[in-house]
Amino acid sequence: MTESLARAFSLVFSGDKVLSEIILTTLRMAFSSSLAALLIGVPSGLLIAANEFPGKKAVVMFIRTCMGFPPVVVGIIVYILFSGIGPFGKLGLIYSVELMIIAQVVLITPIVAGMTETAASPICDRLSETAKGLRMGKSKVLALTFVESKYQIIAVYLFAFARAMSEVGAVQIVGGNILHKTRVMTTTIALNYNTGDFAYAVALGVILMLIVVAVNLAASLLQRGKKR
Amino acid sequence: MKKVLSLVLVLALLVACAAVFTACSNPNELVILYEQDNDLKNTYSAIAVNPEKFADTDVEINTAGADALINWLSLASTRALIENYGVEDYGEKLFYLQENATVVEVEIPAATAATKDIALSTTTSVNDSGLMQYLMPYFEEAYGYKVNIASAGTGAAINAAKLGNADLILVHSKSQEDAFVNEGYGRVVEGFTAARVTFMYNFFVLVGPKADPAKVKDAASIKDAFKAIADTQSKFISRGDSSGTHTKEVSLWDTTLGITADVNALPETVKGWYVSAGQGMGACLAMANEQNAYVLSDKATYLTFKKNQGK
Repeated sequence: MTESLARAFSLVFSGDKVLSEIILTTLRMAFSSSLAALLIGVPSGLLIAANEFPGKKAVVMFIRTCMGFPPVVVGIIVYILFSGIGPFGKLGLIYSVELMIIAQVVLITPIVAGMTETAASPICDRLSETAKGLRMGKSKVLALTFVESKYQIIAVYLFAFARAMSEVGAVQIVGGNILHKTRVMTTTIALNYNTGDFAYAVALGVILMLIVVAVNLAASLLQRGKKR
Repeated sequence: MKKVLSLVLVLALLVACAAVFTACSNPNELVILYEQDNDLKNTYSAIAVNPEKFADTDVEINTAGADALINWLSLASTRALIENYGVEDYGEKLFYLQENATVVEVEIPAATAATKDIALSTTTSVNDSGLMQYLMPYFEEAYGYKVNIASAGTGAAINAAKLGNADLILVHSKSQEDAFVNEGYGRVVEGFTAARVTFMYNFFVLVGPKADPAKVKDAASIKDAFKAIADTQSKFISRGDSSGTHTKEVSLWDTTLGITADVNALPETVKGWYVSAGQGMGACLAMANEQNAYVLSDKATYLTFKKNQGK
């Protein structure tokens, strides 16, 4: 009945070399791409939320549309751009973890920016009266908005991280699922599905979920600390 | 306390998923019903990529690495390895040696910093059979190379090479290989007679439910077996993805049925029983298993699937 689960746990504790390599590659990819997306997306989202400018609605609409980018399409576009004969071919990044990170940043940054903007907008509205009264500078308002919305930003980050961990369409294409190099948990699961080893695939899925649970727990401890 | 509770909830959810998955797996038996017909022969070729095709670009093809690997695949000692692959696990050969293949006796140069990384683009069926994972350590440990194997469908694998992402390809679709060479992407490795180095083959097999409703087992030829499936309108899962296996399958149907590789132009008359899945080999085998359907598979992937199933 619960053979997959049993196998997941025995796998975790077996110290299997290939598996630990795959998990490490996955973590490296997911942390790098979600952090990069956070560094680009949060400031962009805050700037958009805190400022009024012509075309703001269009920019927000554009970001929200990009939030729905199909990963496979992003994968194919990045693949073509970074192919040997593509415009960025000479960087030699095709079939590398770095390119997988780039593809994921393209996918996740609009999500981070869009969610940050949505979270920060009401806070900005609330702060604007106070800021006017106190004659605060623009940068101060921005900093205050950031501090006020940090709770939401942690949630946004968790979403970005979970997305990076579980994404398969884009990384399969640009990474090529190369053993010892670009093989991550989701592409391994897809491969095992294709060779009929469903139990191993589910076992890997359980491990993946456990990692996401662990990161969630860490973040909620952080949030609780912040609240105090 | 709340944290512990939520963790327990998540774990319970995972257990439930695993339980549902286990309960839903189908114990149907998928067996080989027809094999060893000459029409089912499946030849594998390696082709070195021609760097001249990329002279105007920044693409650097590792020709020395490609030469080393193709020469190594053509050594008598490597051929013995290929022939032995899977015999221990399955009690039979998974791959056969091409009889008229070029066999070389050369010293393979050790890898240098510039030639170390070899990019090999291959098809999922080559990769899923486990052959490359079995062979490559011998090559890598002896000469210090690192072979990066990217696998995709035949079309995508060949396309990767055209985009400058591979030093050599290893595929199994003669018509698509010929087109690749004719467009000038192939390169003749010194000591070989042609760009397309065909070094091994195996057989496709017709797989289906043990009960065999279309009685394909008694067919005189594979084409008769396919005709029996069409006549009885028994469910058939087609790859439908322009892979080597799909191309082969299309060629086996009675031409009056009107089935071609163009999945958007399938005749209305076959839609009731002919399922164009658009997925990889393993996914199609799983689908056939669930739906008691027939499917054409390369033997190596079928045996690997069979071995893994129900684990």
